[in-house]
Amino acid sequence: MLGLLPPLNDKNLPWLDVIHPIVVHFVISMALITVVFDVIGVITKKKNLFEVSFWNLIVATIAIFVAIIFGQIEAGLANPYGASRDILNYHSTLGWSLAGVLSLLTGWRYVARQKDATALPKGFLAIDFVLAGLVFTQVYLGDKLVWVYGLHTVPVVEAIRNGVVS
Amino acid sequence: MTLLSAIASPINDIADSLGANDLPYAIPLHPNLVHLTIGLFSIGIAFDFAGAFYPLEKRVFRFLALPVTRSGFHDVGWYNLVACSGISFFTVAAGFYEMLLAVPLPGIRSILGQTAIDTMLWHAIGGVAILMVIVAMTVWRGYQRFVWRKDLGRQVTWLYLLCGASMLMVMGLHGSLGAWLASDFGVHITADQLLAAGADLNEVLP
Repeated sequence: MLGLLPPLNDKNLPWLDVIHPIVVHFVISMALITVVFDVIGVITKKKNLFEVSFWNLIVATIAIFVAIIFGQIEAGLANPYGASRDILNYHSTLGWSLAGVLSLLTGWRYVARQKDATALPKGFLAIDFVLAGLVFTQVYLGDKLVWVYGLHTVPVVEAIRNGVVS
Repeated sequence: MTLLSAIASPINDIADSLGANDLPYAIPLHPNLVHLTIGLFSIGIAFDFAGAFYPLEKRVFRFLALPVTRSGFHDVGWYNLVACSGISFFTVAAGFYEMLLAVPLPGIRSILGQTAIDTMLWHAIGGVAILMVIVAMTVWRGYQRFVWRKDLGRQVTWLYLLCGASMLMVMGLHGSLGAWLASDFGVHITADQLLAAGADLNEVLP
């Protein structure tokens, strides 16, 4: 059965480059710009900005599930070492949690938009800041895995395969 | 050439104030700002496509019980592009700062056969060119929205959409060059730089 799996390259991946960090472009930027446009919409009272943030929120919510699928595959092939094991666990837990949070927020916005598309539901702005905080935390954890621990980079994969790092 | 090989990198003058990743901070800024540039540009273009093909897809949204307006889609296309234009100046600026401090691992070639300096130069020039195109497309998009096509349902021309789609492909290649600078050349990756220096990761990166 294992022979049916595709071979892994020098980044320990069955494909050319990591895909998860590409998919998260759309979660990070769409979730954060939702918050930005909500804030600007409230300040300037430009009602169509709430429509813009609503659609961006929908994209973020769809993208996070794709990000999780590739994240789980690439995490499974990452061979974390030292403290990066814990960081990867936190990153996975927060990632799944964010999928739930984003889905709930999108649902809330959908229902509120059915009633009145020109207003932000009460309290949503406060939740926006919580969302931005969660996204920043999640990005920081993912950044540590890549930029400090170098998971899926050629030198680290080589060191792990040679048994130099464990 | 002989002089060049005799002069040590100017980065050595400030080596004491840099971390193992050759930066004065742990996490590089440019790769994080890039999330915003790429995400905002591509989703902006995608929503202008959605606005352009609105007559075809409106039945689907009716089936999904999701009320949509054509102008709403084009609003996303416009505001996301404006945000992309603004943020991308910081993306390029951070990129140049961090590239000045880059110490790529020696003797490596990318999958395209490029050396580290080739990859960095293409990524630098490409980055400036892409920034200029993004800003130009934002101005073009603005004229379409507020002047040339303000009374039309489809707010953008097919040529604009073609340019957007082409830029996405260019950005895909450009982004890959940047990704290889990290994953293959080890630029600003603490673990890669420590390994190249002969350190034991089990001790220095617990």
